[in-house]
Amino acid sequence: MIPPRLTTPRQPLRLLKDRVATGLITAGGIGVLLAILAIGIFLVWETLPLLAIGDTLALAKLSPLAWGTLKAALAALLFAIPIALGAAIYSALFMSARLRTRIKPTLEMMEAIPGVVVGFIAGLILAPWVERHLASALALIIWLPLSAGLAGLAWQLTKARLRRRLPLSWAGLWLVPWLALMVALALWITPWIEQQWLGGDLRQLLDQRFGMDYATRNAMIVGIAMGFAVIPSIYSLAEDALSDVPTTLIEGAQALGASRWQALWRVALTAAGPGIFSAVMIGAGRAVGETMIVLMASGNTALFSASPFEGMRSMAAAIAIELPEAAPGGLTYHLLILAALVLFIFTFLVNTLAEVVRQRLRRRYRHMGGTS
Amino acid sequence: MNTLANSSANNQGTSLAIKRLLLRGLMMLLLLVCPLTWGQTQNISGTLGAVGSDTMAGLMLRWGETLTTHYPNVTLQFQAGGSASAPSALMAGTTRLGPMSRPMTAAERDNFIERYGYPPLELKVARDALIVVVHRHNPLRVLTRQQVDAIFSTSLACGAEAPIRRWNQLPATRDWAFGTIALHGRNLASGTHGLFQARALCGGHFRNDISEHPGSSAVVAAVGESANAMGYAGYNHLTPAVHAVSLYNDNGIATPPDEAAIQSGDYPLSRYLYLYVNLPPGEALPPAEQALLALIMSPEGQQIARAAGFVPLAPEVLKEQQIWQTPIN
Amino acid sequence: MNDRSASASSRRLHFDWLNSLWPWLCAASVALSLLMLGALLTLLVVRGLGHFWPANLEQVTLNSGETFAGQTVREVALPQQEGDERLYFTGNQDIDGARWRWVAIEEIAERSHPVDLIRLERTPWGDFIGRLAAIEQADQRWEGEAAWRHLTTLLALPINQRPDSQLLLSTANGQTLRLPLTNVLSAQAPNAMAWWQKTHAWGEGVWRFLSEGPRAANTGGGVWPAIFGTVLMVILMSVMVTPFGVLAAIYLNEIAHQGRLTRFVRIGVRNLAGVPSIVYGVFGLGVFVYGIGGSIDEWFFSDTLPSPTFGTGGLLWASLTLALLTLPVVIVATEEGLARIPEAQREGAVALGATRLEMLTRIVLPMAAPAMLTGVILAIARAAGEVAPLMLVGVAKLAPQMPVDGEFPYLHLERKFMHLGYHLFDTAFHGEDVQAAIPLVYATALLLVLIVLVLNLTAIFLRHYLRRQRGSEC
Repeated sequence: MIPPRLTTPRQPLRLLKDRVATGLITAGGIGVLLAILAIGIFLVWETLPLLAIGDTLALAKLSPLAWGTLKAALAALLFAIPIALGAAIYSALFMSARLRTRIKPTLEMMEAIPGVVVGFIAGLILAPWVERHLASALALIIWLPLSAGLAGLAWQLTKARLRRRLPLSWAGLWLVPWLALMVALALWITPWIEQQWLGGDLRQLLDQRFGMDYATRNAMIVGIAMGFAVIPSIYSLAEDALSDVPTTLIEGAQALGASRWQALWRVALTAAGPGIFSAVMIGAGRAVGETMIVLMASGNTALFSASPFEGMRSMAAAIAIELPEAAPGGLTYHLLILAALVLFIFTFLVNTLAEVVRQRLRRRYRHMGGTS
Repeated sequence: MNTLANSSANNQGTSLAIKRLLLRGLMMLLLLVCPLTWGQTQNISGTLGAVGSDTMAGLMLRWGETLTTHYPNVTLQFQAGGSASAPSALMAGTTRLGPMSRPMTAAERDNFIERYGYPPLELKVARDALIVVVHRHNPLRVLTRQQVDAIFSTSLACGAEAPIRRWNQLPATRDWAFGTIALHGRNLASGTHGLFQARALCGGHFRNDISEHPGSSAVVAAVGESANAMGYAGYNHLTPAVHAVSLYNDNGIATPPDEAAIQSGDYPLSRYLYLYVNLPPGEALPPAEQALLALIMSPEGQQIARAAGFVPLAPEVLKEQQIWQTPIN
Repeated sequence: MNDRSASASSRRLHFDWLNSLWPWLCAASVALSLLMLGALLTLLVVRGLGHFWPANLEQVTLNSGETFAGQTVREVALPQQEGDERLYFTGNQDIDGARWRWVAIEEIAERSHPVDLIRLERTPWGDFIGRLAAIEQADQRWEGEAAWRHLTTLLALPINQRPDSQLLLSTANGQTLRLPLTNVLSAQAPNAMAWWQKTHAWGEGVWRFLSEGPRAANTGGGVWPAIFGTVLMVILMSVMVTPFGVLAAIYLNEIAHQGRLTRFVRIGVRNLAGVPSIVYGVFGLGVFVYGIGGSIDEWFFSDTLPSPTFGTGGLLWASLTLALLTLPVVIVATEEGLARIPEAQREGAVALGATRLEMLTRIVLPMAAPAMLTGVILAIARAAGEVAPLMLVGVAKLAPQMPVDGEFPYLHLERKFMHLGYHLFDTAFHGEDVQAAIPLVYATALLLVLIVLVLNLTAIFLRHYLRRQRGSEC
């Protein structure tokens, strides 16, 4: 690395400059990394006074919040995982390449929609609508997968010419109007079914038969709204993992007599399993920390309840509303900082786990001699 | 940057100036950004900062807007965070004006005195009330104190015998709504929450299944959307989407929350709205603050309070408040 | 034997039949996601832009003989009984005591759209809906059509040139009131407008929404200060985050020893992108506002205490917090760019006698510039949509004083500012009347989504374009 002599008199200056710059970059880089580290240190430092107080009652205040956080995240994952993974499988393995280059960025764009917008739609528009049309909303959850299957069946029965017009590889697109039609159908027909078989009002039935309460803003609404926000991150990572599976593996399985679906299910999904796991983990991390959606759509009731029709309060939402009012140094202040610390540690661990799994997976593919 | 005080050019002033110059240079180096970014304190830029009750947010903002039309250089910045944020902001020194929808508690006042050595200046600025609201089609019209307590609390401190959970436990709604009463209220930091707890629950505890909303209008909107909901909110958020229930007062008369009953205090949950000012005794208020207070106490200011949905102060209360006024030069 | 194979094949057939449905469910997931995204965007566009269209005013006569005028808002089913009810926006809060009216559809006897109904925007009582009877100006008086024409000419004048005059108004049910012209902001007679006039009014409405400040405690007016605050905060943030992010990335990729420790640090930085934004907000409040801001006040602004200067949330702290929040995004993107530069380029430069600094500034940084740019744009897109941390470090419900003005030193870092996302949350939940605020909230949401989407699209196209351009090199 000894530079050859050029113009001798400027040499020491150049070297000095180089050394100073390297020093500055090192200092800056380490400084930035330390600043990041400072977040953790600050949170731990501000939580320490709680140990001195040693008030277990105060900790008991946090437990409904922790439960609420988990409940909201679980509801979101229940909604998001099937859709995100289904979409990932379809777009990695079935979708035409041309469509994929368009659809993937579009779905990833969903992630960019600010939480405050999703929360507003969920809390002020969707929640009252679902309350008025509970039966229709629940029917949609069952009816939509069924109607997708129906579309598949109908497709198998149609003539080959039509099938070529509407191939499976483009189904992600042409199913959109079909689903919209099915939604309209369900909305039109459910009130009638509710009238005929459910005694006119599903909520009344729930209340009288099962003693279930229904809160306007509840776990189901939060699940749908936050699921919507989490779908793109799970989808994007899972899709990457699936399309990184070496094609030789799938082709090999098919050559050995597996059907296309078997090859995918047994080979591709197994091979990409860890990648999918890490995608779900990252989705979980995001769901746990999402603030605005839960704040606006959950009703903020500090309840210990597992009912999907009751509300909850999450740690992130509690921090957002209560911290600006908490006097610095007070018990509430330290408690809320403890909540922030818990969120920090939880998401950090979950993300680290996901990252480690992903890196290991990448190394394994390289081992298998994949093209990627 | 909201002071208008002309600090005399003494030693402290110059040393501060030097320090500021140093800081300015430092920041330039650090940020590598644009020129330095704050004005001299001597500038007469009349920004008033206020932190506090979000019940009063609309009112403060309207007063601020009108103030700006009268004095184009005076503006009001308001940060709504619930009444509990006002004492802590006054204490931390983040503001000099603390609008609150309830009087300061003894503890808050003591803390303030401990920090500054004098009590904050307390001004009544308008009359308000808490209302119990139900859906507009709900036939419920009147509630007794015990019933309100039995609906919203677990402690039954007002003397009710059993908690009321379901609509059919109330005579008026026996045949109307079904199921449990869906309860809506405000979050912990708000004065509305505290006052309702003290006055309607007789100091007891709230049930824990009340939906806590970050604003009164959100409570009213939620009740207006849902037929089996009940909630409490500030009077100024009343809309035709909901119906405000009459309450029995101490004289045993069912009183609807209307303007006359609130101004006279016959309605049991009526209250004053306060503005707390951090004013060392013997000092005059800065002109911008004075202008704001003069506007608030003027007929125009009280009319703005009405337009914002509150009830103006009774004339004798207004007269009491005038003691604090000194004319603006 | 035969039997067994037959049953096996039938089972197989059954199996295949079921299996062939799975891809359809997967395809439906994609379709459903697209449908939800499309529905959300359509809702925002339709409701957000539709609000500015001058809606027709309706005069309604009830079965009881009562008359009122208003604009239809929505219909919902009556609870516990048959039929629907309709919500009207009727304005006239000073006369009726309320701005809304719910009417069961059964009770309506007659609906009409008289052309002389007008809608006035005024302060402090909000909208007036009714008829203009006359205008009085000194000793002159205009009535009927002439009054309306005169009013439009008066309102076309700048506010300070409008003559002192009084409007005589009457509501649909015959009540009258006098209103000084100074209280009127704008006037419209939507029933008398042709579609092109309405289009013009719509354009004007959109423009006023974008260019004016909020009025009447955020229930009316526009969002210009919020747009300005958002943009300014984001610019400050990117000015802070770009050099530090790039510095850290260069250090990690070019200077640090590539050992186990660096790998851990890299994973750590990557993970910080997943830490909830509210945690950064807590850090910003505790360290920047209470810690650093409090100390700055004690040292440099002790003469103004107890009024804080930097010891309260403000523009500087908000941008710093968001800079910290978006730091991982910039670092990761820049590192990706750096890693893609072939080692041969660096070796070549060094072999020709360049020092490390020269190699970095002449070879590496120019090649990594597109990646950095992408990182910064992604950071901006993330920051523009974040609300939760801002609630802790300095966003204000209404900050009439812009953070930039003609007063030295022109940019006021300590001031509070307005932000589109927080404005949305605030009007939807803290406002005086949610029903009145919802159309504005839709419009604000649409604007916010558009800004964020455009930024993201820019990043995507930039990355795509640059990848294609240097596809052969990497």
